[in-house]
Amino acid sequence: MRRYLRLVRIFVGATLSAQLEYRANFLGAVLASLGEVGVALLGISILFGQPGVTQVGGWSFREALLVTGFFMLTEGVISVFIQPNMSKIAEAVRTGNMDFTLLKPIDAQFNVSTRNLNVLRFPDLLIGLGLIGYAAAGLEVTPGGALAAAVLYGSAVVIVYCIYLGLSTTAFWFVKTQNVTELFSGVFGAARFPVAAFPVPVRFVLTFVLPVAFITTVPAQALTGALGGGLALASPLIAAALFLATRLFWRYAVASYTSASS
Amino acid sequence: MAEYRAEVVIWMLSGTLSLVMMLVWMAQAAAAPGGQIRGYSAPEFATYFLSTWLVSQLLVVWVSHELDFQIRQGTLSPQLLRPVDPMWLHVASHVAERLVRIVPLLALVGVFTWLSGASFTREWWAYPAALGLAALGFSVRFLYEYAIGLLAFWTESSASFQEVVWLVYAALGGMFAPLAFYPEWVQRVAVWTPFPYMLGLPAQLLAGKATLAQAGRGALVLLVWLAVFWVVRLLVWRVGLRKYGAVGA
Repeated sequence: MRRYLRLVRIFVGATLSAQLEYRANFLGAVLASLGEVGVALLGISILFGQPGVTQVGGWSFREALLVTGFFMLTEGVISVFIQPNMSKIAEAVRTGNMDFTLLKPIDAQFNVSTRNLNVLRFPDLLIGLGLIGYAAAGLEVTPGGALAAAVLYGSAVVIVYCIYLGLSTTAFWFVKTQNVTELFSGVFGAARFPVAAFPVPVRFVLTFVLPVAFITTVPAQALTGALGGGLALASPLIAAALFLATRLFWRYAVASYTSASS
Repeated sequence: MAEYRAEVVIWMLSGTLSLVMMLVWMAQAAAAPGGQIRGYSAPEFATYFLSTWLVSQLLVVWVSHELDFQIRQGTLSPQLLRPVDPMWLHVASHVAERLVRIVPLLALVGVFTWLSGASFTREWWAYPAALGLAALGFSVRFLYEYAIGLLAFWTESSASFQEVVWLVYAALGGMFAPLAFYPEWVQRVAVWTPFPYMLGLPAQLLAGKATLAQAGRGALVLLVWLAVFWVVRLLVWRVGLRKYGAVGA
């Protein structure tokens, strides 16, 4: 465990110094973050800006803003921690670099999941947290609610990580997987609104088929104290089950891996 | 392009913003008193958003990614030895992709129409008009994306500029709602940009909510922008090439 923590520190240091080489990139990344939050806010304010509309799917503007905050935060988590690593899996399989990763005396899944960081999108995390804070300030939030939201958001991050890792692991067979993760980000776009804003059959799909509801809506509900016990329990259970499944899938993929040269 | 059939379908489905917005607005209209918002009922929202989806699929441009890659990896160099501007190569591959895309695209639109109860206009002239606007819109978008891709001559972050411009395109193009739903100051800004005319307007034509006169005006605006971006692209290309040569590539 201590060894892995030290490795994380080394990885972070290495990516930081590599990325800070390109200072001009920072401007572009800040622009992209601002653009993204601007568009997210425009989307939700158009929805609420119509005459006679005070709530969407039973959610007030503040509550829906909370969901937008969790959406931005998750976009940040994906682009800072998850995407930079996962996009490299396919590349490593294609070029044969995966051989070196598998030969190292540390867990290969740990290595491919933590090696890279995109610090440039760090502002996304701050924007997301800021939005959540702003929205929560106008709502009644109990310490218990905040704690539950934090725990449930933890399992949300695990769910996102598992989906990405599962999709990226298919690279061992299909080589090009960028498209598949793109498909997930398309579906994930639905998470910018509370699931209650969707027609009933779609709500079902977003909760039980593609667990998008657990990523943004459930933590937001926990924060406002509107969460039922069932969903609160389901979220960590789904996270644990997904983690186990992707772990097994990863092991299976590695076992059937034949290097690029053979 | 026909080699990558699965990929083409996946890319089509990944542009889901219009579909997500369609579902949200349909639920909103169904819950609203009188069953409509600003004169749009649920099936009318379905028609509008399916139309924007269809049009946005015709407008897909990925040239800035390719340029970014080519400039950074140096694969642009052999292309410079040819007697044609490398731009036409990219034009050709974009057009070819559209031809591959059209059949599965129409099939999907058919399925979604059936599921959502959308109904497109019966006026025959709306279809060639929308297609014409989409073609003009594609040309405009291709040129400005090309210019952004060429920024890779100077900066590492041309990809993030491309992302920002996509967001503006989606927002002002009317992917979140018909433009009339936007706050007034946004609408006033939007009419000066090409975005509403390349995305929202052809979609409104297909939905039977725009007139031929509006289509004509939109086409004129797009032609002006086409001329502007043609010059911009050419300038950036000339200046950029000098810079590229200077690195010794």
